[in-house]
Amino acid sequence: MEWERPTGVRTIVPWLATAARLLLGGVFVVAGALKLPDPAAAVRAVRAYRLLPESLVAPVAFGLPMLEIAVGLALLAGVFVRTAALASAVLLVVFLVGVGSAWARGLQIDCGCFGGGGTVAATDTAYPTEVLRDAAMLVVALALARRPRSRLALGGSFHEEELSRAR
Amino acid sequence: MPVETKRAAARRRIEEKRAAEAAARARARKRQRTVVGGVVATVLLVVAVLVGIAVQTSRTTTSATVAVPASTVDGGNVVVVGQSTAPVTVDLYEDFQCPNCRNFEATDAATLASMVSAGTVQLHYHGMAFLDTSANDRYSTRALNAAAAVENAAGPDAFQRFHDLLYAHQPAEGGSGLTDQQLVAYAAQAGADGNAVAQAITKLTYGDWVQRVTDQASKDGVTATPTVLVGGQRLEDLSVAGLTAAVQSAQHG
Repeated sequence: MEWERPTGVRTIVPWLATAARLLLGGVFVVAGALKLPDPAAAVRAVRAYRLLPESLVAPVAFGLPMLEIAVGLALLAGVFVRTAALASAVLLVVFLVGVGSAWARGLQIDCGCFGGGGTVAATDTAYPTEVLRDAAMLVVALALARRPRSRLALGGSFHEEELSRAR
Repeated sequence: MPVETKRAAARRRIEEKRAAEAAARARARKRQRTVVGGVVATVLLVVAVLVGIAVQTSRTTTSATVAVPASTVDGGNVVVVGQSTAPVTVDLYEDFQCPNCRNFEATDAATLASMVSAGTVQLHYHGMAFLDTSANDRYSTRALNAAAAVENAAGPDAFQRFHDLLYAHQPAEGGSGLTDQQLVAYAAQAGADGNAVAQAITKLTYGDWVQRVTDQASKDGVTATPTVLVGGQRLEDLSVAGLTAAVQSAQHG
């Protein structure tokens, strides 16, 4: 009976990777898409962190959502999964640094993670939640980068790899 | 028999070699596909980001000839109420849809008004419009635009009366906002009536100006409303006592 466990693990890991892909990809696509309808708010949200020079604020506010959507779509489709997982991990580290530094400096801002202009009603910040959420997603992203093979993926699919190894 | 075995072994070696070659070719093809796919994806990504930046830049660019309400200061972004000789400046950053701003106005507006008439305080109104929703039909923008129309037609004091009226009748957050007709009626009540004002309200004449002052507030580092500055210092305690103490210390300190 001892040898049955590894087989079970081997079947479940690719499905866990699929779940990780769908979770990360879904969150990134939604987060990116919500920043598109109101570009002026996106600019204010980036500016609110007071980390970037004014000349970089708008390009970051407009470029970042596209990057998030691209990474999210790659994860959802299951193409370039390892690269996309690493990219999302890098983005999440950047977000954590931004939110953490805003928290440390005592700024009263909303992270603007899912759109909005970074504006909150006074003393209505949610830093602990934002940090925990990003940290949890970072763990998922790193795990996925380590084991990117998953079910229901378009590119470099688990099935294809298994078959070629069996041959 | 040994001959047959040898031949079979040779055949097997050849087959193995062929299979290995085929596998190597397949791997090479796959690697090439991955490289080509990677390059294509990278190019697509760069193009998407650049297009995104270009489209959003054009969407946020306001025309160089923005309609600015008359007798505003600081580049046309600020409405000033009170004497220029007043020793203390109080800056107010508010959104007409913001409930905390209404609460602040409800408790502190009378105190501020008496400080203004005593010649102690000059008020600087900085509008912001960031609580637009589809449900309220962009009420934040419409309200601030209407305030600009009132200011342009009847001056800062009418602006202040209109401002106070809108906070006294603030629509519920998540609700549908006041209609343009209601805004026109309050404008008349504040002392700005006539066709020109009604037109400016319904046609959103100062829409670009609203966008500009909202962006300016963000550049001023304002991320929460109401933000109240007394003598340039951020007021943390928004109670009447807190406001009075801050104005006194700004006046004498």
